Amino acid sequence: MRVEEFDVLIVGAGLSGLRAGLELSKEWNAAVISKVYPVRSHSGAAQGGINAALGNLDEGKGDTPKGHAFDTVKGSDYLADQDVVMFMCEEAPKIVVEFESMGAPFSRLDSGLIAQRPFGGAGFPRTCYAGDRTGHTLLHTLNEQSVRHGVTFFDEFFIIDLFQANGRIAGLIALDIVKGEVVSFRAPYIILATGGFGRIFKYSTNAVINTGDGVGAAFRAGIPMQDVEFVQFHPTTLYGSNILITEGARGEGGYLFNTEGERFMKATAPKTMELAPRDIVARANETEVNEGRGFENAYVHLDLTHLGAERIKERLPGIREISIYFAGIDPIEKPIPVQPGQHYSMGGIGTKFEGDYGETDLPGLYTIGECSCLSVHGANRLGGNSLLETSVFGRYIGRRLIEKGLPEKASSSEVQNSEDKKLGEIEELLKRWNNNSGKKPVEIRIEMGETMNRNVGVYRTQDDLEKAVKTIPRLQKQFLNTHVLTEDRKFNYGLIRTLELRNMLDIAEATACASLWRKESRGAHFRTDYPSRNDDDYLVHSMIYRGKDGLEIKTKPVKLGVFEVKERKY
Amino acid sequence: MGETQTFLIYRNSGNGDIHYDKFEVPLSKRMSILDALFYIQDYLDSSLAFRYACRGAICGSCGMTIDKVPLLACRTQISTIKTERKPVNLPEFKFGASFVWDSENEILIEPLPNMAVLKDLVVDMKPFWKFYREVEPYLTREWNDVAPESSQSPNQMKKIERLVYCILCGLCWACPVSKENPKYLGSAQLAKADRFIRDSRISDERQKSVFTRVLKDDAVPACEKFFVCNRVCPKGVMPGTAIKDIRDNRSGD
Repeated sequence: MRVEEFDVLIVGAGLSGLRAGLELSKEWNAAVISKVYPVRSHSGAAQGGINAALGNLDEGKGDTPKGHAFDTVKGSDYLADQDVVMFMCEEAPKIVVEFESMGAPFSRLDSGLIAQRPFGGAGFPRTCYAGDRTGHTLLHTLNEQSVRHGVTFFDEFFIIDLFQANGRIAGLIALDIVKGEVVSFRAPYIILATGGFGRIFKYSTNAVINTGDGVGAAFRAGIPMQDVEFVQFHPTTLYGSNILITEGARGEGGYLFNTEGERFMKATAPKTMELAPRDIVARANETEVNEGRGFENAYVHLDLTHLGAERIKERLPGIREISIYFAGIDPIEKPIPVQPGQHYSMGGIGTKFEGDYGETDLPGLYTIGECSCLSVHGANRLGGNSLLETSVFGRYIGRRLIEKGLPEKASSSEVQNSEDKKLGEIEELLKRWNNNSGKKPVEIRIEMGETMNRNVGVYRTQDDLEKAVKTIPRLQKQFLNTHVLTEDRKFNYGLIRTLELRNMLDIAEATACASLWRKESRGAHFRTDYPSRNDDDYLVHSMIYRGKDGLEIKTKPVKLGVFEVKERKY
Repeated sequence: MGETQTFLIYRNSGNGDIHYDKFEVPLSKRMSILDALFYIQDYLDSSLAFRYACRGAICGSCGMTIDKVPLLACRTQISTIKTERKPVNLPEFKFGASFVWDSENEILIEPLPNMAVLKDLVVDMKPFWKFYREVEPYLTREWNDVAPESSQSPNQMKKIERLVYCILCGLCWACPVSKENPKYLGSAQLAKADRFIRDSRISDERQKSVFTRVLKDDAVPACEKFFVCNRVCPKGVMPGTAIKDIRDNRSGD
């Protein structure tokens, strides 16, 4: 078997992974492993922007990092850890200026400074943007800088599992998709930056590749999933394909209408209207449809027509292109049909209570970006904060690890034993899949996605969640007997998608379980049977572990102390 | 079963066996070509290989030749593929195996042209990335994180905006020059060079260095102005126009 050795491995080549890779490659022998070429990563699909209290607009002059942190904490329904939020918001102006210095092509004001637009839940216009393709331009900028600095990449390598030795992380086993070989990567530090996992839902804005491969690998290594009940449903995803229609469309002045021609946000959030935070708008959209005021009983209208052709072409060209190609509608002429869809995972790989940001309970294993739960978004993420999180913590983790220095080298015999054992398990698994005669992975995947949408969606109830908590383990059982050809492993995407399903089933199971446990409504987690927030019992992070007899739930305190916990009103 | 669509798909094991397979796919509403390929992989043949990621025309993974036209599979709808306007004056793309195609009723799926096939619809992107690195597509300013950021006017930004939209999908390698000359840097790569040449923030020295590279024989001078790249680009980048701009800029020096 091919063995590669590095000081540090970064898994995932989106914004988080690339930024960490750039920092770590300065000093160490670092490698970035990704199942797709870096520019294919889903960070590139982010549209609206990246938040920073730069105060570039006159209306933004009073903005401060602390104001940004307050909005973030309030938006999180007070579940975010306030120390890490303060850190992120203080870093925000620096990280945006740094992106610009690297060459990122931001949209500009007449003053020559970076343009900023209003976004939901924000007290000032602080979302820096590049048209409606902000993620794309930032991803390409970091890729360009990675080329410049000669960062080492293993493109088209799929992480299967982690292995440990001497009580710390020792490496990972990956599948080289091109050659079809299993490869071992050894390193005393591993950073998981594998992004979101929205594909556990049937309707999601996420890329097909957003399957939580890092979360699954960490979970199997004993690292809990934290706060996975908090799933952001974006209020405006294109009806049919669920491709994202940016919040920037409302930031630019777009209206939401029901079949009766009403701007229904007036009833829910009279002050902020369409620019209330995402969880609130998503629920309002869902309610309109549930109560019979949706078009074709499925969607509402996002109307941009009053903005005029020029503004749409200048500020929202990507949205126009998506609407034309994927829905056959030009938003200059007609409203866009939109419905809520899974968009972002606030939860993820659990982190240590007292540790570096992104540190897990397994020494040497770290996590950043959407796959992680640090927790900067708490129960609900504000738009423009995810691009920010990726790069802030990518840079941070790189600097922090270099400060800490490399640990003493582990005994190689122990590493090798652990590696061999893991490899044996994986070969066993692939052999079993090949020889099984059960269901096709797709049948299990579809039932998982439908279950999650039906029973763990925008509105949740005890009954529905109990169904999901029974269904997913049944699918896990069926999955043990699933059949897929695994002998010819070269570009075997059938195999890749089965490995992805293995990760998604664990995450879906944990999500259903945590949602059932949390008997309150907070941020994106809305229980119709417990419609209010319950700080006495649930102002805590959920931590889900795999125990001997199924999933176990523990809790972790929330870090408070900067902002007072209050009712959240808009 | 409801209505179905027949697909005729190029298969290549990578070991010399090249042929075309036929698949019947049940249609669903607003089904894209990529959706159909997933259906085939999920239900009919798990070994069918193709690249994918975002399914929303922003990642650039799923470029392939559909009904003889280089397109993004995710953005191409089955319901309109036979009726929509196609780019004109495209070269004929051949993939080394004979087949019978009922072009009115069957959708033909082949890999991107002018790139080596690794398996089925997956092509070798290594030369594409190598040439991308060769144009040194970046600014070399020191990173700085102290506000204010460097200034750029909206008009200066406008000059690179179209070029920034490139998703590096490789459709523009359908260029006849890429077919004839494997050393040709390629349309996307030259458009990327132009994106940096025209960036108001680039230093004179850096600009000169990019110019020097792209004015070598295997780059801008090799372009024969077919403008196939402009016609197949899914993002309106107009690489051919970028190449022309680089050429004109030089004569203006």
